[in-house]
Amino acid sequence: MAVLNKMRQSMARSWSLYRSDFRSMDKTQIFLLLLLTLLAVFMLLPLVFIFNHAFKPLHELFLFPPTFFVRQPTLQNFTDLLQATQDTFLPVTRFIFNSIVVTLLSTVGMVILGALCAYPLAKHPFPGRKIVFGVILLSIMISVETMGIPRYIVVKSLGIMNTYWGHVLPILALPVGVFLLKQFMDQVPDELLEAAKLDGATEWQLLVRIILPIVTPAMATITILSFQTAWSNSETSALFMQDDAMKTLPFYVESLTSNLANTVARQGVAAAASLIIFMPNLIIFLLSQRKVIQTMAHSGIK
Amino acid sequence: MANILFNQVYKRFGKYKEIAVSDFNLTVEDTEFIVLVGPSGCGKSTTLRMLAGLEDVSDGEIYIGDKLVNDIPPKDRDISMVFQNYALYPNMSVYENIAFGLRLRKLPKHEIDLAVKRAARVLEIENFLNRKPRELSGGQRQRVALGRAIVRTPQVFLMDEPLSNLDAKLRVQMRSEIINLHRKIEVTTIYVTHDQIEAMTMGDRVVVMNRGIIQQVDSPEMIYNKPVNMFVANFIGNPPMNFIKGKLQERDGELQFYTNRFDLTIPPAQASTLRSLHMIDREIILGIRPEHISFEPHRIEASSKSLVTGVLQFNEFVGSDRYYHIDIKQDRRLVIRANEGIRCDDGSLVTAAINMDKALFFHKDTEMLLTK
Repeated sequence: MAVLNKMRQSMARSWSLYRSDFRSMDKTQIFLLLLLTLLAVFMLLPLVFIFNHAFKPLHELFLFPPTFFVRQPTLQNFTDLLQATQDTFLPVTRFIFNSIVVTLLSTVGMVILGALCAYPLAKHPFPGRKIVFGVILLSIMISVETMGIPRYIVVKSLGIMNTYWGHVLPILALPVGVFLLKQFMDQVPDELLEAAKLDGATEWQLLVRIILPIVTPAMATITILSFQTAWSNSETSALFMQDDAMKTLPFYVESLTSNLANTVARQGVAAAASLIIFMPNLIIFLLSQRKVIQTMAHSGIK
Repeated sequence: MANILFNQVYKRFGKYKEIAVSDFNLTVEDTEFIVLVGPSGCGKSTTLRMLAGLEDVSDGEIYIGDKLVNDIPPKDRDISMVFQNYALYPNMSVYENIAFGLRLRKLPKHEIDLAVKRAARVLEIENFLNRKPRELSGGQRQRVALGRAIVRTPQVFLMDEPLSNLDAKLRVQMRSEIINLHRKIEVTTIYVTHDQIEAMTMGDRVVVMNRGIIQQVDSPEMIYNKPVNMFVANFIGNPPMNFIKGKLQERDGELQFYTNRFDLTIPPAQASTLRSLHMIDREIILGIRPEHISFEPHRIEASSKSLVTGVLQFNEFVGSDRYYHIDIKQDRRLVIRANEGIRCDDGSLVTAAINMDKALFFHKDTEMLLTK
């Protein structure tokens, strides 16, 4: 009961806050609010679609015009997905396992590497640092496809074809992450680092105990970014993995949907797989969004 | 505890080797509280940062105790520093902020706890050891920063404008608290400020700097009463010293300082010095503190040979005193600090007596003090 009461109170409070906010707005603000709400609903549509699609029975999947909401939800697609690979030696769980291993390794790798790269760029005025940073920024402009062949050559000569390293290494550098982290680290006052230096901190301790805790919002953003990059990466499977047992879930889903022969037969399976691919993104975003939105303004540095 | 020695220290910055600190020589005695003061960009903070090891020394030597510290990293110099913006670690509680340095030195847990609590008691911050810095007021943050500095019992204590971010009232309070703290812990302290009142009230000795060069190192009294040059005379004291341009001439066996508008007779002691320096008939600058000029009738009667007249432009009420700004047709208005009881109307012609025994004479070109 007490919990219920508390909830009711807090809801009442937030409603009155909301109302007072609403009243203090002028017409432009209300218009903008409506516009943004509409936009948000519009952006939500694909998510709603993915959720509903995965639970549609076969006859609903091919309805024309297509429907957003499922009428007779079923788990058939998911069981199909698990059975779809029974005729080969590889169950779909193998792809999911590969995806999890690869994503964990590369996300951790990308975040660590990004932080290690951004820290000296932000806080150590070594000669040529502007050039280094410029090159990193430029590399954002180059599309992944153009790097396919050079990457293939590198991966092949490193001898990491058909290993997890072949998945992880090519995507380990995340220039957007370095950029974001550097911008955040720039804002950390130098005095803070100087104070820590006088307190006896080594460079490593400065990074781990002072800088990284302060730039947690940026770290959370990078985590999402790198997770998404790694989790949805099918390119390394296509290029560097000839062994089917080393391929990842996104590649498998792509092969289900893009293979012309299968466009009709496996629609339900593909819808279920899409949801499985999508879910971790949503979960990780929901978990870290508070940190992402949290700004440096409230970090109490000044 | 240690003394500090700067031996011909230079600091040059950037591509064009701009000189920030030039030929800095200073000995700071053990347990001394010394204040570096000067206008913005005079090199005082740079000097402090060189001592802390946060800036490289371009030339010269710095010793802490008997140890040459030029190439010793900050963490091994056994110094602690308080920054203007406190520089508290925002991600740590007050307790952790103070304990951080001790933890890095791998002290046993109970010792850390003891030291932190002791420092907190000295600074009266025991009640918010668990709070984050953002939950504290400016004054409380400054205390935490002080706590972080004293907890390690360093050899040298550096403070870089620690009170500049506080409001005026708190600044006065913290000023006396820092002095008390220094008396209690007796650590050699170097304190940087641009506020001359802080410099005068806190320092055992004051170092006045300008453009990277030491102007004067002396006790606050000497700096105020016997500034070595016009810069120091002008910088220290509020309102600043008055400067009057004029010439020296002999008349009736007396030495006189004259301008187009008035003559002032110079007392014999100073006159003989000026004569020996062959300053007769040469342009010279007379410096006089605002409190050494008086409106009081008995003074004016007694010193008929050292009167100035001018038009009172305006006056400022500052509580115990009033500042009168008088136009005497010089580059700068003459400022007189007088008792509140004396009333004159703005725009009226007033006469005031200069206490010539307190007058200082400066060379017009070198701006150095002539009458020692």
